[in-house]
Amino acid sequence: MEAVESRPDAGASAEAPLAGLTPRRWLAGLAVVGQRQIRLTILAGTLAGLATIAQMGLLAWLVHQTVIVETPLSQLMAVMAALVLMIVLRGALLGLQGRFAASSSRAIRGAVRRQLLATWQQAGPGRLQGESAATLASEWLDQVEALHGYFARFLPQMMLCVLVPLAILAVAAWLDWLAALLLLFSAPLIPLFMALVGMGAKKVNQQHFQVIGRLSGQFLDKVRALTTLQLFGGVERATDILAARSEEYRDVTMKTLRVAFLSSAVLEFFSSVAIAVVAIYIGFGLLGYISFGPSDSLTLFSGLWILLLAPEFFQPLRQLAQHYHDRAAALGASAQLMDRLQSAPTTTPPSSTLAAHPDRIELHSVTLRYEDRGPVLNRLSLSLPRGGCVALVGPSGGGKSSLLHVLAGFLPPDGGTVSVFGEAPGHRPFGWLGQSPFLLQGSWADNLRLVAPAATEADMQQALARVGLGDLPGQRAAGLDSPVSEQGSGLSGGQARRLSLARIFLADYPLVLLDEPTAGLDADSQTVIIEALAALKAEGRTLVLATHHDSLLALADRCLHVEGGDVRDV
Amino acid sequence: MSELLPWLRVIQRRRSRLLVGAGLILLTLLSGLGLLALSGWFITATAVTGLLLAAGIQASLDIYTPGGGIRGFAVTRTVARYLERLYNHDTVLQLLADVRIQLFRGLARQSYRHLRSLRGADWLNRLTTDLDAMDSLYLRLIAPTALALLVSVGLVLVAWWLVSPLLALALAVLLAAGFLVATVLLHLRTGDHAAAIMVQQADLRAATIEHLEGQAELRAAGLLPQQQQALSARGDDYMAGQVVVDTRTAWHQALAGVLVNLAALTALVLGLQQMAAGAITGPVAVILPLALLGLVEVYGQLPEAFGRLGATVTSAARLNRDSGPLVPGSGSGRERAGDSNDRVQTGICLRNADIGPAGLEPVLKGLTLTLEAGDWLGIVGRSGSGKSSLADALAGCAPLAAGQREGVPAARVAYLTQQTTLLDDTLRANLVPDGRPVSDETLWRVLELVGLGERIAASRGRLDTWLGAYGSKLSGGEARRVALARVLLHPADLVILDEPFTGLDRATRERICQQLPAWLEGRTVVVLAHDEDALVPVRQVIHLDQR
Repeated sequence: MEAVESRPDAGASAEAPLAGLTPRRWLAGLAVVGQRQIRLTILAGTLAGLATIAQMGLLAWLVHQTVIVETPLSQLMAVMAALVLMIVLRGALLGLQGRFAASSSRAIRGAVRRQLLATWQQAGPGRLQGESAATLASEWLDQVEALHGYFARFLPQMMLCVLVPLAILAVAAWLDWLAALLLLFSAPLIPLFMALVGMGAKKVNQQHFQVIGRLSGQFLDKVRALTTLQLFGGVERATDILAARSEEYRDVTMKTLRVAFLSSAVLEFFSSVAIAVVAIYIGFGLLGYISFGPSDSLTLFSGLWILLLAPEFFQPLRQLAQHYHDRAAALGASAQLMDRLQSAPTTTPPSSTLAAHPDRIELHSVTLRYEDRGPVLNRLSLSLPRGGCVALVGPSGGGKSSLLHVLAGFLPPDGGTVSVFGEAPGHRPFGWLGQSPFLLQGSWADNLRLVAPAATEADMQQALARVGLGDLPGQRAAGLDSPVSEQGSGLSGGQARRLSLARIFLADYPLVLLDEPTAGLDADSQTVIIEALAALKAEGRTLVLATHHDSLLALADRCLHVEGGDVRDV
Repeated sequence: MSELLPWLRVIQRRRSRLLVGAGLILLTLLSGLGLLALSGWFITATAVTGLLLAAGIQASLDIYTPGGGIRGFAVTRTVARYLERLYNHDTVLQLLADVRIQLFRGLARQSYRHLRSLRGADWLNRLTTDLDAMDSLYLRLIAPTALALLVSVGLVLVAWWLVSPLLALALAVLLAAGFLVATVLLHLRTGDHAAAIMVQQADLRAATIEHLEGQAELRAAGLLPQQQQALSARGDDYMAGQVVVDTRTAWHQALAGVLVNLAALTALVLGLQQMAAGAITGPVAVILPLALLGLVEVYGQLPEAFGRLGATVTSAARLNRDSGPLVPGSGSGRERAGDSNDRVQTGICLRNADIGPAGLEPVLKGLTLTLEAGDWLGIVGRSGSGKSSLADALAGCAPLAAGQREGVPAARVAYLTQQTTLLDDTLRANLVPDGRPVSDETLWRVLELVGLGERIAASRGRLDTWLGAYGSKLSGGEARRVALARVLLHPADLVILDEPFTGLDRATRERICQQLPAWLEGRTVVVLAHDEDALVPVRQVIHLDQR
């Protein structure tokens, strides 16, 4: 029966949600996760702005009443109480703003982290092998952290620097439209200002990070090579180079900064001039020197209030400029994170296993291809009995590992069906031994109990003995509870692989898949591993192993040559 | 807090720059406060005068001096702000380099063994984070704190002089409270959390790497979902700590703001009282409150730095630990090791030596080994047999657990370590890292010997070809041969080669072996390898496994 299911190429068009999205859009989409908290942040910030307006108004009123109307202070207790109330209210709202901001960012970062975990799982160990774990971990931690400032500070501030100045402008216009016009005129349209701020801040930011990046690169390179430099007497020269390069970078950076800082100077200039112009206009108006416009009706109250609001009018904008680097950092991080999230293939539900045999591993017409290559496995059909030992041979890159990954369920095939003892591959726990064994940063016992939580001390000792590690924990002070690797020395590659193999002895896995279990090991470790595999086989477990090694081939009942999509018996 | 001292010392070497920079910030601040205060005075004064004029009373007000003052403050604030940013950014860049060079010097003084224990992308990553914290010490922590204090004290004195000692006292109390809330108290409430977050972050990174490396095995064992959940939960825990710090920082910032605002209100009320009593005029009563309102922004910058202070201190402590003082007896930097040995010896002798990785039982015990000057010795042992530890011991890089090393001083040893490290620099600098003059002819001869002559002659930069991340990439075998050439060029009496031929094919290996004896004529040579095939032809071979 020809029932090859076809599936669109992994990762390309099928994974549409992220494709064609700009980092900015992606960030906007993420904001939905913490929307409630972000709205509350903006609300608290806006209310704090309104409380500030009220506080300034009350202050101006207090001065007006005492200086102009000459009301005794004792009759103004209510105003003073209201002032205290406003000050406290403003403080409380600012505190709440910080609180909401912190939790919105937390929700969003948590969501991105979970997405990344899911992506890793979908990609499977096969596809992840090409990436260094440190890089992936740094994405999961540092790049996601870089989103914090954007959601906690920049995004709310974007809204606040529109809403709060508008409110201030409205109050000023109500008090004296000409003064409001002066304020508005000093800030020739806030968007233009923001663009100005943005351009300058962006440049400063890029420069700064570029310099730090290069400097760190130089520095880290020298640190990495420090032992070599010590051995060859190169420390002094390296220090001089470091100093000279820093000086060069500083020179170049300062040249650009001279221009880039002008944008913040412009912002500062407009806000200073606005205060100065408003103060002089109001002063002249109060003296009656201005014969046009609304200045006749100016009082100390309205004049002082407008003056006190003038700096607050620019404050949100200045804060935005300070948070601008948050935006740049988040955009940089999101480009990288989006690439990672896009790289995950779509998951297809495990294909149905028709008439699967409970005691055989069966592959029917299995096809597997990678994006930019021909088929690695081409309509492969195989049937392997329970308890057998099959060796996969063939050139590297020929598809041995891919076949193992299909049997493990790590890679869903592009077509055909796979069943392992009547079930979908990977449905039941099985043993896996790759070339880079997995060790926990913990004790020997932690590492062994990972797969067999109920294992006793004796079980563990026995399992270790079977892989020739019986006496190793004994050399350490705390026996099985001593850490596997101590500072300055871990296990050798062979020892680590043997420890991994000991786990398989502890857990009662019917199927064990091994990818080059003896590659790159010294003769001792090779012998031990081959003996251990023979023991596993004798216990009736099913072994499938990819190998080049002759003495391992001797163990196999059946030997399959995998190359160019084809598999044939040898 | 004493952890910060070494770094503060580095920073204060640029004392005059720091003072000028702080002076510019101060000028910016005072112009801002002055602009607002003078404007307030002006408006109040004009209002009072306007009232008198409207009532038909003769009154006059000099409008030109305050008007000029207001314009002057506006311009000074703009210019000072621009200069301040430029000047302080320059300072920060200088400090950035200072801090790195200081750390590099400190690290270079550490023992070979200590440095070996610090390797790895993880450590470099951490180093970067920690250095960032030191970079911002001046501009984020020291300067704002010092200036907030200075301006506060100044305003208290102005209050004393302008209004009354009572107001000065009230302001002193309120501002001190605000200052403490924004700084010390915040640090007390977040310090431990911020420090814990740093540790948590390192743990989380390790756990994530573990999770990734073990994905195949975890998935095979059916443990992946629960591991993923555990990792997610740890990530949430980590963020919960951050939320605590961020939230407390926000509340302290808000509370400090409230206290400064209350100080402004107090100044206004007490000032107006004085006015009612006829001691001061209305316009003067307005000056101080407005200046204090400007101070809110100055205090607002403090909490962010102090909320992170716990983390900053942790960073400093870690850097100090990495680059810290020499531990006596653990072997100092190799460049200076063995200086005491003034007798020129070209042989080497280990007597009753116990050798092994730091902190573990010695792998080799009671080893005695003597090489006369000019002897060639091969040492064969499988991985884990203590081969590389023995090479370290012979080179004088690592202390012996017991026994003595005599003979060639460490500074006269050329040592090819098992790991190949190339510098991100030119080929020439890689061959001669200490920059001593070596003729091009010699360099070409040694490149010829290791079989790289043609490859390098064909490259564009020839001897000045840039190697490393930004330059031409060498294959593993080529890099190994550059490292070998470097050792051969090093003037030494004892040459130690640990697995010299990793990644080289047989033909190249044999060619090099043929020419080595002539090149190393008269020197003492030790070659270590995992089996005899990988050795240079030597007169004598020791098998570590059969001892």
